[in-house]
Amino acid sequence: MRKRLVTRKIMAVATAAAMAASALTACGSSGTQATEAAKTEAAKTEAATQAAAAETPKAEEKTSDEAVTIKFQYWADNTDYSALMQDIIKKFNSENGKGITVVGEEQPWDGGAYAENLFNAKMGGSDVDVSTWKLTSTPLFVNNDLLLDLTPYVDAMDTKSDIDDNIYSVMKEAGGDSSKMYVMPWNIQVLYVYYRPSIFEKAGITEVPKTYEEFLEDIKKCTLDTDGDGKTDVYGFGMRGAKGGQEPWGSFVHGEGGSFEDLTSDASVAGMQDFIDLYTNGYVPPTATSDGFNEIIANFQSGLTAMTIHHTGSSGKMEEIFGDDVSAFPFPAGKGQWTSMGDTETVIFSSCEHPDAAFEWVKYLATGEGQKMWCEGTGNVPVSKTVGAGDYFQNNRFMKASLDGESYAGILPIRDTTTEWISDLWPNTVAQALTGDITAADAMQILQDGLWK
Amino acid sequence: MKREPKALTALKFTVLFLMLLFLLFPFYWTFLTSIKPYDELYGKVVTYWTANPNFEAYGKLFTSTVDFFSAMKNSFIVALCTTVVTLTVATMAAYAFSRYIFPGRRVLMSIFLCNNMFPTVLLLIPLYSIMRNLHLLYTPTSLVLAYTTFTIPFSVWLLIGFINDLPMSLEEAAMVDGCNRGQAFMKIVFPLLRPSIIATGVYIFMQSWNEYTFAMMFTNTATRTIPVALKSLIGQLGVQWDLLTAGGILTIIPVCIMFFFAQKRLVEGLTAGAVKG
Repeated sequence: MRKRLVTRKIMAVATAAAMAASALTACGSSGTQATEAAKTEAAKTEAATQAAAAETPKAEEKTSDEAVTIKFQYWADNTDYSALMQDIIKKFNSENGKGITVVGEEQPWDGGAYAENLFNAKMGGSDVDVSTWKLTSTPLFVNNDLLLDLTPYVDAMDTKSDIDDNIYSVMKEAGGDSSKMYVMPWNIQVLYVYYRPSIFEKAGITEVPKTYEEFLEDIKKCTLDTDGDGKTDVYGFGMRGAKGGQEPWGSFVHGEGGSFEDLTSDASVAGMQDFIDLYTNGYVPPTATSDGFNEIIANFQSGLTAMTIHHTGSSGKMEEIFGDDVSAFPFPAGKGQWTSMGDTETVIFSSCEHPDAAFEWVKYLATGEGQKMWCEGTGNVPVSKTVGAGDYFQNNRFMKASLDGESYAGILPIRDTTTEWISDLWPNTVAQALTGDITAADAMQILQDGLWK
Repeated sequence: MKREPKALTALKFTVLFLMLLFLLFPFYWTFLTSIKPYDELYGKVVTYWTANPNFEAYGKLFTSTVDFFSAMKNSFIVALCTTVVTLTVATMAAYAFSRYIFPGRRVLMSIFLCNNMFPTVLLLIPLYSIMRNLHLLYTPTSLVLAYTTFTIPFSVWLLIGFINDLPMSLEEAAMVDGCNRGQAFMKIVFPLLRPSIIATGVYIFMQSWNEYTFAMMFTNTATRTIPVALKSLIGQLGVQWDLLTAGGILTIIPVCIMFFFAQKRLVEGLTAGAVKG
């Protein structure tokens, strides 16, 4: 009887402890997510304050000889990158020779809520001077006068030509005013085409495609029945039909001469038709309508597909699996040429009291030693041509494919509708088009209306 | 006494065992993930035990930029201070609301609760601004203040319920025996309220321990709390599962120990309501 009581007691205590522990696991966020309504309300309330603050003369800019402190906020993807950033800051602080001290404050990426948190902090009067950035956040901050126009600083920059003009154009586009640049380029990820040289050889292809038309042809050639059982064993292309697939899809639209600005043009519709034809004719896996990042990478790594589109983020693993039997080429030019660009930039806030010193820091990250250290340490594609020309990047075939695509890389138009368009409208519409429920023209009309409404 | 059939007992224990397994498996999996070697952790084959346990992640938590020791210390300071401040204020406020009938009592109680009806994010910017102007930003005090704005009203309401269940006659008897109001509260009401105070304290501690939004906004690298430190291990392009799970395990150990000792009082507090004596 006593033994049973003890057993029951132990079971009860263990169950209570487990329940308590589950309730207390600190990684579960109990914080509420900012609602759009709340954000808008907060923005409205503070807009007047910010406008008033903008009219007040700024604290006098200190001379270059005086010591100034710049508060820099950033996110890091892992602890190694975090340590690397601290090293870059230390190096800059000890070598800049202008009395500038950068104080780095790391904040969590927070599933993309980094910018939203930063916005709340800035509206509350945060003293952050410089931050790492994503282009998609630009309109919100520009509309609330939170960002400093960097155009005069960039124009006066001795290393201005070290960054491709196309990159500057993308930065300007994000701010919604082609005459102003609020965002300083830092590093990018350019999508390129992965391919398997051994499959190319089997398909009788001797060199990588140079044109969009050749690319389409090679996809067909690489679709193989290797064991002669009448079934396809290797598909020419790993198509991404789920969320995120709009990036490689954009290359097809532009390959036929289309554009995001007019998705209903004949050229844009032709690009969509190419995409549909690849699916309906069996040149891509039948699961393409629901294939996302993990699936296209797994299909390529398992040898099910001969080509797929992604960036250097996956190149390490590819090389580990295939060794020399994997390579890359930039998305070829057709009537037009475009590839998607992932981006990370820096911005200086309008509240910064020492914009000259702050610009020294962002310049160091964009074209100086900071650029080299960061890109070599993280495997990101440099925006500096000088850094990109170094052996480290030129000897890496994936980096080279990325750098070759830099001049025509771009982003989707940043609009209020873009997030929903990417998350829901594009995958749903394209899935219907691929399965033949709607025509290419109908699909493009839906996508046009959804993006530009 | 009639003994329970053995089959029924076995069934009960089986159900309890399955419940326990269901509750404990995530913690086992978290622990296992934290000690798996890198190749096994990110490999394609799922393993339910590792032949080569590796505790490197635990060491890295304290030596890398995460600085987990500092985060744990900050979390304890914030959670303990919030609990003490809230319990002190809420117990006295709840006693006053329960025992004194004064004009505007109901209105005040309703206003108290209104605070909790606003989404946290609405108060985020004003509170940030206030903390900055008070020069409290990036200090644990800012978090204690922010948390108490939410925990005090709720705790007052919770404790009012407990105090209302205590018969007035106990205090009246104490006062007949020579106690003043304060002594009656300290010597009679407070000991009887102890289980309820512990239950409320645990709730406050949990809220402060787990809270992320304010912690992320009001702290910097030096004053960062555990939820923010753990969240920083989830990057844009990947998650450091080994460090994240090691951090999760270290986070729950001290709290589990605390709960182990407090659980008896906690259950009493949660089931309080019976009139003593």
